[in-house]
Amino acid sequence: MDLFLGIDVGSVSTNLVLLDAEGEPYVQPLYLRTQGQPIAVLQQGLALLEEQLSPRDRICGVGTTGSARFLAGVLVGADVIKNEITAHAVAALKIVPEVQTILEIGGQDSKIIILRDGIVVDFAMNTVCAAGTGSFLDQQAFRLNLSIEEFGEKALEATNPVRIAGRCTVFAESDMIHKQQMGHTLPDIIAGLCEALVRNYLNNVGKGLEILPPVVFQGGVAANLGMRAAFQKALQTEIIVPPYFNVMGAFGAALLAIDHAAEYGETKFRGFRVSEIQFQPRSFICKGCPNACEVVEIRQGKQVLARWGDRCGRWGITEQDSSQAGRSNLKSIS
Amino acid sequence: MIKVGIPRALLFYFYYPLWRAFFTELDIQVVVSPETNKRILDAGLRTALGEACLPVKLFFGHVLELSGKVDYLFVPRLISVEHKEYICPKFMGLSDMLRVRLANLPPIIDTALDVSGRRGLDWSHFFEKVGSIFTRDRHLIKRAYCSALEADKNFRRLLKSGLLPPEAMDAADGISEAAATSVASPGFLKIGLLGHPYNLYDSYISMNLIGKMRQMGASVVTPASVSDDLIDNQTKRLPKRLFWTLGKQMIGSALTFFENEKLDGVIYLTSFGCGPESLVGELVKRWAKHRGNPPFMMLTIDEHTGEAGLVTRLEAFIEMIKRRKKNEDHVPSYGQPVHCC
Repeated sequence: MDLFLGIDVGSVSTNLVLLDAEGEPYVQPLYLRTQGQPIAVLQQGLALLEEQLSPRDRICGVGTTGSARFLAGVLVGADVIKNEITAHAVAALKIVPEVQTILEIGGQDSKIIILRDGIVVDFAMNTVCAAGTGSFLDQQAFRLNLSIEEFGEKALEATNPVRIAGRCTVFAESDMIHKQQMGHTLPDIIAGLCEALVRNYLNNVGKGLEILPPVVFQGGVAANLGMRAAFQKALQTEIIVPPYFNVMGAFGAALLAIDHAAEYGETKFRGFRVSEIQFQPRSFICKGCPNACEVVEIRQGKQVLARWGDRCGRWGITEQDSSQAGRSNLKSIS
Repeated sequence: MIKVGIPRALLFYFYYPLWRAFFTELDIQVVVSPETNKRILDAGLRTALGEACLPVKLFFGHVLELSGKVDYLFVPRLISVEHKEYICPKFMGLSDMLRVRLANLPPIIDTALDVSGRRGLDWSHFFEKVGSIFTRDRHLIKRAYCSALEADKNFRRLLKSGLLPPEAMDAADGISEAAATSVASPGFLKIGLLGHPYNLYDSYISMNLIGKMRQMGASVVTPASVSDDLIDNQTKRLPKRLFWTLGKQMIGSALTFFENEKLDGVIYLTSFGCGPESLVGELVKRWAKHRGNPPFMMLTIDEHTGEAGLVTRLEAFIEMIKRRKKNEDHVPSYGQPVHCC
């Protein structure tokens, strides 16, 4: 069967989705923890997918997204490399065609996407601060000795959520400890925290935006029942959590790959053997000028697959790149 | 030959041609610090006071770069360049901050310019004072002053024609025709880019935002091409007059951009920790909403901003506009719009 691969390599999770030509998932999507090793995890994911395929299956297009989209794109040979906003919007539109608002909270970032008539008309992402994203919830669950799943369920047991300062997670944490020591129940505190994060999200990321239903909530944090309930309460509207909420970026990337294939044919996919190849990533400081750019280089054996990080473009890959040029300029830092 | 150093930062982007012409006519060699690089930025971050904004910190780096290579540093104390208006207070105190934080600096020329009490920008008095440091020949100073005004006029004319300040400076020197043609070549999209010149045109600090936008097929229009009269007219609509000249330029340009139907979107590049911008940015955002929500995005830069975040936002913004445009093409002039996706 003709299949399309979507890959989303984010800071916390690496997700892979295989779709058929109709845009329906062909095998169970993969949600893997990136654990700071995007290359290894991506290869592991590819190997896991390959096991489930029959010899007649063929990859006809690949799309990558997420903060490591360029890296992933080079490794697997992607046809489309797209930013997360577009990928998430395309995926949500496929599942809820009339969607007008997408709330997306991931590990290190949160965003809101406003759509009208199937077109992204506005979006916002969290600024410098990562307060209120998945990582913080993870950390708090760990501190309270709860799994992140239990954490969400506990919130639903709350009878009287306490008020917690959600503006900054440092304050939120000390506020939570304070409330704890005052004798408030755990569910009330957790529910209070969820409400604080939602308030923070709507006041910062969602500030000034017109949030209209249908509202789709996706990203890893959408698994959290407490957060769903808090959004529902704050927005006074039904919150739709799509079936593949935690892999929507990859889902969107695969959909974009389908579109791309329809237009251009031929995929650049390098095959599942990618999972066995030894890639040698390294970084070095270019000494060509005082900018001292940290250049990252991905090699496969002697061949240089990609380089980035240089501001001037002098390290761009050339046709006959033998990676010898300017060698005297480098100092290896890894 | 006496050497005067001008840091390539802050008001350099407004007044360099004016200042340079003046000194050159006095037979003084003008030395400009190189374009911002990591070393300059790091040096600035190390030496400037912590609560200053990034552009001010960067100014410190550029001063250090010149220190030891010049006989004088030119850091004029620009208090006001317009009637009843003021320049950012951090700019007014630049020379004082430098003296407090940095030792062994060459003598600093920090002559003040303050026209808040009168109408019209008049540099004559300012230049008389600056000139008298080097010569007693008042005729020579007068001549240098005239040639400075001439250079400034030429610079402003090039800006009006759509060149960006660095390109206009090059063009005035006749070195770069390539720059001029790069502006002329029409992009697929036309985007208004708001922001202070010292952020927009310092390609290190802006992470080459303008270059990236052009690469993505957008031609860029900046406040440099908006005339002062237009800015004044636009800001008259505000309920209260703005007495910060630089903030007024931002709002005036923003309102001009929002009215310009040829623009497909507007991006506002702000620097984290800029006091006036925290208010002006909010105002601009509200006016954008007022004006029927044209595609508008604010980007905030700081010393530790990763390029990835900027690229993702820029890419998504351009993508959004392209898709919107594509969709508009499918809207027939009568009846219901047809949706393709």
